[in-house]
Amino acid sequence: MSRLGPVYTLAAGAVVAVALGAASLKAAPSFQQVGAAQDTTAAAAPPAESLPAPSQEPSQQPSGEPVGAPDPTPKKADYAGVVQGNGGLVAIAVRDGKAVAYFCDGRIEAWLKGTAENGTVTLEGKDSLITAALGGGKAQGRLQVGKAKWRFTAPLVKKPSGLYRASAAVRGAKIVGGWIVLPNGQEVGRVQIGGSGEPAPRYVPGTAVDYYGVTLRPEEPDGFIDELVR
Amino acid sequence: MTHTTVITKRSVVPLLVPLGVGALVAVALGVYGRAHTPTGFAVGVAGFSGPLAMKAWLTTGAALLAIVQVLSAIAMWGRAGARSAWLAPLHRWSGRIAFLLTIPVAFHCLYALGAQYDSPRVLIHSLLGSFFYGVFTAKMLSLPRRGLPGWTLPVLGGLVFTALIGLWLTSSFWFFTTLGVRL
Repeated sequence: MSRLGPVYTLAAGAVVAVALGAASLKAAPSFQQVGAAQDTTAAAAPPAESLPAPSQEPSQQPSGEPVGAPDPTPKKADYAGVVQGNGGLVAIAVRDGKAVAYFCDGRIEAWLKGTAENGTVTLEGKDSLITAALGGGKAQGRLQVGKAKWRFTAPLVKKPSGLYRASAAVRGAKIVGGWIVLPNGQEVGRVQIGGSGEPAPRYVPGTAVDYYGVTLRPEEPDGFIDELVR
Repeated sequence: MTHTTVITKRSVVPLLVPLGVGALVAVALGVYGRAHTPTGFAVGVAGFSGPLAMKAWLTTGAALLAIVQVLSAIAMWGRAGARSAWLAPLHRWSGRIAFLLTIPVAFHCLYALGAQYDSPRVLIHSLLGSFFYGVFTAKMLSLPRRGLPGWTLPVLGGLVFTALIGLWLTSSFWFFTTLGVRL
């Protein structure tokens, strides 16, 4: 046996690991393959067709944000948009003072929960934080995940756009899937199971999602906000 | 485990360097898995329905080859009654392929997910993963050395095998029994 054979074996393993690392650093986030190329227009105007301009009367907005009332916080509102500088998506759902948010860029994700009052939302999740001002047909604020901080502007959206979550228990393992759908068709989502996670199968609103043979039924925030925010 | 058995010509002293390097590898992997922010994404082997399935099957391949490792090692040490010229290459190459099969798995685990201690299965898997590469490194570095105690290779090889089977049980077996046997 060559004296160096085992060293070559170790070196081959290290080379493969370094190659995988280089390839992973270069690889594009998976959501860009799924969604439309929308990154650059993110912060600008709200998606035109389905939403009125921010300057229009609040009463005409689809989810009816009562601006000018004593408490400007909407009772029910759904926001979704692109995170500036990250390209991932963020969605915030407000229901009667409760708020839930989801951030996902195809690689990392965060579920956040909190409250909506005085026209602002404050949401916390594992290693993540969102603060945003509600009004003018949009949620505008900051997102922190781990050490990274980004700004975002998320316009009001209505079905079938917005936030979806599916949870299931399979033989002791908990599966949680999250999706954000934008009016322009851009979508991102992840599924976590047993401490692991991976990009979610594409979700077509109104249908079920097959995840390794497990049927996931994504719900709108009405269906899960009370379970997440108590 | 090494401090008492000093036999006349053979000594544990040459074993210290492989064991030390192996320990460094194990600790370094564990620290990296804990310290860096998991990316949630890593390039892996294509052709599977997702990274979980990819890892479950590559680990299964490595575990099957690990059984070949044990059987060929038993034969090489003359315990099976037969010694052939092809035993050593079989042992060497099944081991190399098994090791290389584990690399994309471990890379995804460490780079995309990181070491986690949230549930017993994940905790054991994280610790065993770091231990596996440490003891594998120690075994590789011990192979060319002369004058090592006779038990060195069986013990290190046995630990590598045990760790890999433990890794398979806490990952692939869990995957197959939870989500089913699917590519």
